[in-house]
Amino acid sequence: MNEYQKGERILDVQDLELGFNTYAGQVQALRGVSFHLNKGETLAIVGESGSGKSVTIKTVTKLLAPNAVIKGGSITYKGQDILNMTDKQFSQLRGSEISVIFQDPLSSLDPVMKIGKQITETLRIKLKMPREQAKARALELMAAVGIPEPEKRFDEFPFQFSGGMRQRIVIAIALACNPEVLICDEPTTALDVTIQSQILELIGELQRKNDLSVIFITHDLGVVANVADRVCVMYAGKIVETGTVEEIFYDPRHPYTWSLLTSMPSLATSAEDKLTVIPGSLPNMVHPPKGDAFAARNRFAMKIDFEEEPPMFKISDTHYAATWLEHPDAPKIGIPEPLKSRIAAQLAREV
Amino acid sequence: MAKYIVKRILAMVLTLFIIISISFFAIRLIPGDVLGEGANPELRAAMRARYHLDKPLIEQYVIFIKNFLSFDFGESINLYPRRPVFDVIAEKVPLTLVLNIFSLIITIPTGIACGIAAALKKNTLTDHAISTMVVFNVSVPSFVFASLLQYFLAYKLGWFPILLDLKAPFMSGAQLWSMVLPVLALSFGGIATITRYMRAELFEALSSEYMLLARAKGLTQLQATVRHALRNSFIPLCNVIVPMFMSVLSGSMVVETIFNIPGLGSLMTGSISTSDYYLTIAILFVYSLINLTSVLVVDLSYGIVDPRIRIGGGKTRE
Repeated sequence: MNEYQKGERILDVQDLELGFNTYAGQVQALRGVSFHLNKGETLAIVGESGSGKSVTIKTVTKLLAPNAVIKGGSITYKGQDILNMTDKQFSQLRGSEISVIFQDPLSSLDPVMKIGKQITETLRIKLKMPREQAKARALELMAAVGIPEPEKRFDEFPFQFSGGMRQRIVIAIALACNPEVLICDEPTTALDVTIQSQILELIGELQRKNDLSVIFITHDLGVVANVADRVCVMYAGKIVETGTVEEIFYDPRHPYTWSLLTSMPSLATSAEDKLTVIPGSLPNMVHPPKGDAFAARNRFAMKIDFEEEPPMFKISDTHYAATWLEHPDAPKIGIPEPLKSRIAAQLAREV
Repeated sequence: MAKYIVKRILAMVLTLFIIISISFFAIRLIPGDVLGEGANPELRAAMRARYHLDKPLIEQYVIFIKNFLSFDFGESINLYPRRPVFDVIAEKVPLTLVLNIFSLIITIPTGIACGIAAALKKNTLTDHAISTMVVFNVSVPSFVFASLLQYFLAYKLGWFPILLDLKAPFMSGAQLWSMVLPVLALSFGGIATITRYMRAELFEALSSEYMLLARAKGLTQLQATVRHALRNSFIPLCNVIVPMFMSVLSGSMVVETIFNIPGLGSLMTGSISTSDYYLTIAILFVYSLINLTSVLVVDLSYGIVDPRIRIGGGKTRE
């Protein structure tokens, strides 16, 4: 089963281009997204709302809305081309090899079906497991995700569970068929902070135990720093910078990554300090701007940023950034001041 | 739960009391003499005494209520002289019941099927065709449908008898054939109502978060729709279907009159037009009882079908 060794490429997304047909025109949601996932690692995809994170995930899991049009690119999972599979073919992979946890645990369970049945459903239908065995497996899963008294809770309905408990059930459902890849789309945004950290710990623990590969979608950089091995920063339907978590946090290169990191409050931020915000908002993606999509909000933008899209510049084997600042001819700006001192302070604390 | 049901039943009794009281007085407002013109004076006097019509209205009312409470609902005056009203009603129920049950057998599956088709194919030609049919059926009154069916299918084409065949034995082939048109006329409105509900509910269920999870689990679109979306959309549908089941006992006045069906509906129109006081009140009582009971059954059935109310209800109520 596990012919893929730790660190091998299990999922590969290349130049994914996708649009949504709307009355206003076609929204260019993804404009050439490329990333890969290695066996056993956690990849975080970060970016502000509307940058295309969730759309990327829905494309990978083939759960797109009907008005979506895939215009190009490829998605390969263990050498199989996912994009050209039919719904029926992919249903064999979804849930059993690639599992997803979505944002809203409060409404994602079927309100009129017993919790136990919702967990055993896939085991019974897809793995044709006998009833008793499926129940035993479900109880095991419920215990594993930290549900007290699983025997009793098995026959209860979603409305009898709290938000955190429901998200644990959703995770149990996602893990029911022993997937290899677990995709978490902002799994903790709807939960309060204590529950949030419990859920994150739980996911991390399950990952180590089951040797899962995890894609973690979030806009919370604090979460990224805790869970991720590698990070992709997304902006306006593109990945603008990718690198290991150390590279992104201590040696960011893209002005958008700088802005994101600067706007995150740190331990040194006091109540009087104003948080830095990124001016403006995402461009209208029906008509994406010429050049770098971030240029209009970028105080380091150069003339070329408004004329031509920057390619991915290689910084190290794992670190790439799409900004003209990395061009050999560009002025050497370096990390801007407040962020630079913050990183220095952070490094000092860790040593 | 028991306390709740008792409360509801008490409220129902009060409502029924008000309804029969109002109908007792309202029916007296209809102009015309119950006993008809030209009868000889002695007979008239005897009749007036028999039906207490010689006493003041308030006293008549008190007698009426007293009798009613002791389950003496009075006799028919004109239509079926001297027969107890509930005997008359009981005699009319079977035919109405048969027609309504046939109509339900057509209405519910057709309505659900059209609703599902429209929701699954939302904004396509299928959906538009079904929705147009719904608007048409809801807005055209049943007597127009009944007359059109009668005119074209029975009179012009001669496929069906124009009226219900009463000479043929009850439930014989010939009589069943003559029931086709009235059953169709009774069904159109119901089909439209169910279709509209089903479409709206299923469409909402299809775009819900739990459908996304069901798909994410690895169910195909078909499996997820059948196992999750349909199940959820049937719950609010109870609201329309249960009253339909309850109302099989009450006949449609319009359709029964048009097709000359001697059921409850035409008994109602007949008793009103002949000022048959006690018969009219008794029929109104039966109709009200059916409607009030179906409202109660809907509320209770919600608790049975929906676990959120069945199990969660106890915590919130008192």
